[in-house]
Formats: sequence, C-alpha cells, structure tokens
Amino acid sequence: MNPLLAQFLAEANDLLAQVDEGLLQLERVPGDPELVNEVFRAAHTFKGSSGLFDFPELTRLTHAAEDLLDAVRGGRLTLDSGMTDDLLAAFDLIRGWLAHVTTHERLPASAGTDAAGLITKLRAPLGGEAAPAAARTAGVPAPVIDVAPDWLAWLDAEWLTETAAWLATTSSTLRFVWYTPDTDCFFRAEDPLHLVRQVPALEKLGVVQPEAWPAPEDYDEYTCMLSFVVVTRAAMGELNHLFRYVPDQIEIVELDSDAITRHLSGEPPLRAEEAVSVVVTAVIDSEVSADARAVLQAAHRALTLEGAVAEGARLRSVRHAVAAAAWALGVPVDVAESSPDELIATVVRLAGEAAPAPVAPIPAQLQTQAVAPHEEKEPVGRADDPGGQVGTRVLKVDQEKVDRLMELVGELNVAKNGLTFLADAAEEEFGSRVLSRRIKDQYAGLHRIAEELQAAVMDVRMLPLSVAFGRFPRLVRDLSRRLGKTIELVTEGEDTMADKDVIEALGDPLVHLVRNSLDHGIETSDERIAAGKHAAAKLTLAAVADGDAVIVEVSDDGRGVDPERVKRKAYEKGLISEEELETLTETEAVDLVFRPGFSTADQVSDLSGRGVGMDAVRASVEKLGGTVTMRSKFGHGTSTRLRLPLSMAVTQVMVFSVGGQRFGIPVDLVVETVRVPAGEMSRVLHQEVVMMRGEVVPVIDLARALDMPSTLAEGADRPILVVSVNNQRVGLLVEQFHREVDVILKPMEGLLAYADEFSGTALLGDGLVLLVLNMKEVLGLAARVA
Amino acid sequence: MTSDTATRARVLVVDDAATVRLYHSSLLTGAGFEVSEAANGLEAVEAALVTDFDLFVVDVNMPKMNGYACVEALRSENVGSAAPVVMISTEDRPGDADRAYLAGANLYLVKPVNGDRLVRVATMLTAEVAA
Repeated sequence: MNPLLAQFLAEANDLLAQVDEGLLQLERVPGDPELVNEVFRAAHTFKGSSGLFDFPELTRLTHAAEDLLDAVRGGRLTLDSGMTDDLLAAFDLIRGWLAHVTTHERLPASAGTDAAGLITKLRAPLGGEAAPAAARTAGVPAPVIDVAPDWLAWLDAEWLTETAAWLATTSSTLRFVWYTPDTDCFFRAEDPLHLVRQVPALEKLGVVQPEAWPAPEDYDEYTCMLSFVVVTRAAMGELNHLFRYVPDQIEIVELDSDAITRHLSGEPPLRAEEAVSVVVTAVIDSEVSADARAVLQAAHRALTLEGAVAEGARLRSVRHAVAAAAWALGVPVDVAESSPDELIATVVRLAGEAAPAPVAPIPAQLQTQAVAPHEEKEPVGRADDPGGQVGTRVLKVDQEKVDRLMELVGELNVAKNGLTFLADAAEEEFGSRVLSRRIKDQYAGLHRIAEELQAAVMDVRMLPLSVAFGRFPRLVRDLSRRLGKTIELVTEGEDTMADKDVIEALGDPLVHLVRNSLDHGIETSDERIAAGKHAAAKLTLAAVADGDAVIVEVSDDGRGVDPERVKRKAYEKGLISEEELETLTETEAVDLVFRPGFSTADQVSDLSGRGVGMDAVRASVEKLGGTVTMRSKFGHGTSTRLRLPLSMAVTQVMVFSVGGQRFGIPVDLVVETVRVPAGEMSRVLHQEVVMMRGEVVPVIDLARALDMPSTLAEGADRPILVVSVNNQRVGLLVEQFHREVDVILKPMEGLLAYADEFSGTALLGDGLVLLVLNMKEVLGLAARVA
Repeated sequence: MTSDTATRARVLVVDDAATVRLYHSSLLTGAGFEVSEAANGLEAVEAALVTDFDLFVVDVNMPKMNGYACVEALRSENVGSAAPVVMISTEDRPGDADRAYLAGANLYLVKPVNGDRLVRVATMLTAEVAA
C-alpha cells in the first residue's frame, strides 16, 4: 500500500473514533458548542483528507454528514437522536468501507447504493439547504479529459475496447501513465519496476521494449532501456505523490470512455515528441500566468478590502507577492518601497498587461541566479537551526514491532540468566572462585540494564483503560434503547494504564459483565420508581491501579442478586448439596453465579445468558492470571470486581522439581514453602494432610498426579509448596525447591495446545524448557488420580 | 528550484490532517524545497519564532489555533514574518478568501490542490526576486 493511503487509513481510525465519542457525549450534553465543534472538525478533517483519493462516495457521504454537523454548529438545527442515529450509521458504513479499502485499496462496489439512502436521510433535516450544499461537490473538481496520446497503442486493442465499454457504464475515468526511466536511472538508486508496482489500484501494466536491442557486444546491462505503460484507477493526487521524484520522466493522462474509443477509431494521436511537448509548454505558460494573476488579484483584495491593514509585515508580504508575480509574468517591478496606494496602481497595471499575451516565464533555476541574492535574506540563527521538528511528536508504531522488541527482551533475559549457570560452572567444574565472582559481577550489571530495558519496553506497551472502556458508551446506548431502560454510564479512572495484552483480553469479559448488568441487574424505569429509586439507573465502569495489578469494577444500582434465589437455583441444578443450601453464607451464595452451568435469568434473553455466563468471565480472567469477585446487596445493586496483573508479559515463577524434572508455578499462587518431617504427615480418609498452625492442609503428591516416579527417600523431610487456589490452601509435595525466575510465558501451541494441566512454557537460561503448571487443572487431575 | 542546499527555500506546511501534511510536504520536498510541518496554528507560530521560513502553506480549520488566527499571528509584530502565505482550505464559500487576505494571506486555494499547481505557486512565491 502506498504510504499516503496508509497514512490516511491510520488517521481515519482516530478521527472516526473522535466523531463517535463526540456524538455519544452530545446525547448527554446536548448542544454543547465545544463538543459540536469537535465532532464537526473531526468530520471535516476526514473529508479533507479523503479528497486526495479517488473515493467519490466516501467524500460525498462525509460531506453530507459534515453539512448536517455544520448546521448544528451554526445553531440552525438541533441534534436529535434520529439524526445521531443517522450520523452514527454513516460513520459505521464508512468504517466498513475503510476495512475494504485496507485490503482491496478501493471502495466496495456497493458503496454508491449503500450511501445513497444515508445521504438522503442526512440531507433531509437540512431541507432547502441541501441543494446549494450538494452543488459544492465536496471540492472534488471534475476531471479534465485528455486526448489519447500515441503511446496508448502499446496497450492491446481488445483490452482497450473492453475497458472503454466498461467505462461507458460509469462516469469514472482511468489514469494512464507513460513512464520512461532515464537510461542511467540505476546509478541514481532508482528502481523503476519497484516504483510501478507501487501504483495503487492498478488495472494494467505494460513493459515496452526498445524497438531494437543493441548488439550483444554493445549491450550494457546497467542501462535502462524499458518504458512502462500503467493504467490505474488511482487519483491524480496519489500518482503525483508516487512519482514525485521522477516528474520529468512521466506523462499522465486522464481518459474516459470517449477518449479511448476515439483513439481506437484511429483519431490522429498527439505525437509524443513534437506536438505534446509544444502543447505542454503552452499549457504551463498559461498556468503560470494564471497563478500569477491569482496572486495579483489576492494582493489587490488584501489592499482594498474594507478593514484591511496594509502596514508592517502584511505590507511587506504583499510587496513580496506582487514582485514575485510580476517576475513570473516577465515584467519585473521594483516595489520594495511602494506605499499601499502605489502597490494598488502597480497591481492594476500588471493585471492589465498580463491579461493578453503571457510572456514566457523564466525557468525557476534561472530566477535565483539572475538576481543577486538579497543580503537581508540570510539572518543569523538560520544556519544553526535544524528547523525540521516542530512541537511534540507522537510516533505510531506497529504492534508487531513492539511485540518483537518484547520477545527480544525475553531472549536477552534468557541469555542473561545463562551467566549464572556459567558462574556456577566456573566454580564447580574449573575450580575458579575468582572467575565465578567476576562473572557474577558482570551478571549484576547486565541484569540491571536488562531490567531497565524491560521496564522501558513494557512502558511502551502500556495503554490507558480508556481503550477498553471506549466501546461502552455506544454499547450501553444501543442496548438500553432496545431494552427500554434509562441508563447513565459513568466511567472512572480511564487514565489507569495496563499492558496492551491485558487491555485487549479485558474486552470480552467486560462486555459480558456490562450486558449482564443491563439485561438482568438494572430494572425498567417503572420498576425503579416503584422501588423508590431514581428512574435513570447508573452503571459505573471504574479502574484503579493497585501495585502490580489493575482493578476494574463494573457496578450498577440495579436490583442486586437475591442470595436465596441463587441458592435455590443452584440446588435445583445440582450444583450444591442440600446441606450447602442451608449453610452457605450470603457472599458464598453470590459467588455461585460463577459456577459453570449457572444462569440467573429465568428467561434466556437475546442479550446475555445463553448458558455461558459468569463462569466464562471467571475462566477468561483467571487465564490472565487475575481474579473476579462479586459483591451484591439485594435490592441495591451489584458490583463485580476484576483484578488483573498490570502486565502479562513477564511472569515470576517459582521453580521446583518433581521426579527429576523441573516445573514452575506462578509465584502469586505460592503462600509458603515448608519442609515437614515425614512423621508429621497424616492421613484423613484417602487424603494426605499436614497440620499447619492449627489448620489442616491437604497435600497432593505431584509426582503421582503427574504420573512421574517418586524419588523421595522413605524417612526424609517432605518439601511442601503451599499454594492458594480459589481461597483454598493446598500443599504440593515436590522433590526439591529451586529459585524464582522471571520468564516470558509462551502459551502451549500445536500438539500441546490441549495439555490443559500446563499454562505455558518458558525458556530457562541453561536452555531448558520449563513447563508451568496450571494449578486448577492439576488439582482436578489429582482428584481424579486419587 | 536549485538543488543547492544553501539556497533551498524553507516551507512550513501547517495542517491538522496528517494525510494532507504528508501530501503537501512530499510534493514540495520532491520539488526541492526544505519542508517542515506543524499540526496546528500554535505549532506553526512557535516554529516561525525560531526559523525564518520563506513560505507558509496553511490550512484553515484546525484545532487550538485556526488558520486565520495563525496568519494574523505570523504577521503580528511579535513574529513579524513577511514571507508569503498560501492558505488552503476545503471551504469555498464567498468571503472565505477575503477573510484569509484580511488575516494576511497572499493566496487562497481550495482543497484538494493539484500537485503541479502547489509546486508552481510555491516556486513563484519563493523566487528571490521579491522585495
């Protein structure tokens, strides 16, 4: 894709998001002039950029939206929800088109018909205003149809006939480019083939060979002897941009069906060498003088307009412009000291002289040499001022590049960890404690730098929570309308930062929670009023940083969860025993909604509650290494709290071995490590347990659960790793503890993707692959083995 | 334009749309100008305070400081730039051009501007003949 289009697509994304957000805010604060202005400007900027490309429907639709917004901005219209719907629909359609443009570099074929209805709708509220606004044609000038040049003969006639027939069915045109690279272009690092391949929306590409190739002995492979014929739907702006470095080697014509047909019927073409060059020069002459006259006209207006102030820098700039225009017209004047009145006289005189026969302009190169440079023009400070950068810049970087950087940091960490093994080897294998210490010192330095680098890269990956919250104003608006509920959405702490992976992964659980709230939690306005509440419900999305974690809370002031009903339901579904029905506390009862197979809504609605419910939320949050809890006060509301690690990129794992092989588990889960004398282990039913500070902790023999040989001697102390899973303490009997390491956890892929008992793998410094256990699954496994 | 660096004219392209900026600046760079960019009027004025530009190409509708206010500021005593200003806008309602001339612009063009024309006008206005 050419860089101009890529830039447009990237920018469009931001602008459309601004429009959407602004429109939604406007519904809450109708008529806020600042907001209207913001939305208008985003739409306006978008339209301006779209005009650079051959996307007429896009420009037309945006233009209609912009006119509507302009009327709102000018106070001629008041934005109502119908108009907002139409505007949102228009920008949704545009978003869809841009997705198509991203892959195909053109609008979908249906764009015209899709847009027509919306344009009519958008224009409707404008009433009489529609006509003049539409007549402005969005600043897209009608194309100038050229005469078919003789090089068109290089294209095959059959294809041209078909193309002409196709063009006749539309009002569009094609751009034909004739590109003859300089024979020594290779020595200027030009790559003609690469250049023509970059032409967007390419319809046809022809390579033209020289009429006669030189004899083999004279043949120089470093001489470019080819020409290219390129046929494209790309707009002139794009082509000018693409060929900007070789303007003298190309010729572009714009042809419609008629022009091609005339060429096919044998209309005498313009001879490239003679006629065209003459015509082109003539055209340039008249164009330059037209430009010069435009500048003179502007100067005249600037001097004579009511309220014009012609002094100081303004007057000097007008003198400058007049002198430049006069020079271009071939009638130099000296206006350096002219008063405004003298200037007006000069302009009038020049305009009169310029009108009839324009004198050939002096080429630009000569202009600078012909006149002695102005001494004044070389002020101090100019030479040492770099001039390039203006203001602060934000660099937009492809996500993949950042991911790659993160991977490299991970590899650096692995290589760094290798040094500690080397230090051990130096001491143990080569008996050099000094060398070992020096390696360790080196390691310490490298470790510090690697940590800083890692922190810096992680910082780049941080995004504000507003990215995750951004979709909700729209979602809540649409859903609440459908449900006939009035809901005010409040977001707090959008500036809280978290790793982009966390933000991305947060999306689905949040959508689920919000939908649940809207669907089940929040009552209709009538119900609310009957319950003595405010008719409008409040839904809050809040984020707050908490050490290495971020807490996101979705809360509503709806009807809350009825613990009795939940318990009864869980019992009916066989999720809890009769005994639990009696003994479960209120908090435990609320937690039941996270059990697989539980759905509180008696009626499955079309929004949420299709059997996959809160259990899916809990599962996906736990997969991220987070936790989810729900608090509810029956009749007053529900609040669901997600606690997630700020970053998923680096995980701290505790390494231990079982059956001679090393495994890891996330440090977050580890409560403590203890060595228990063999005699203190006891047994309750079939379960091994150990008493710790008066609490009975079940102990699982990992070797057995993982089906590995147990290597512990009969009477030896038992190394036990105490972990906390779902607020339950469990002891894991292992063979030996090792150190904690920071690793980049890679998910299980390929054949191992279904090995649920592992949450991922990590590469250790000595080249060993560490399997990291998924504690929940391992406990399930242990239960099955026992 | 001559390719000699010492005499290359400096242009400041001012537009809030990054796509339009890229379009204008690549056209002008290709024609041998030394191009800087600014994303709004305020940035443009700040840039003009440290660099003597030979030409400004200014959009009208921009956040923070719009094109008219930007040109007014360029012509004010504080900045005092007498370099030619070409304003480029999507608006072509009657009176828009006059507003630009009152602010101190020397030419008003309507978007999208033909690439050749922009280069021609820039070349004309930066020729070292003017007062």
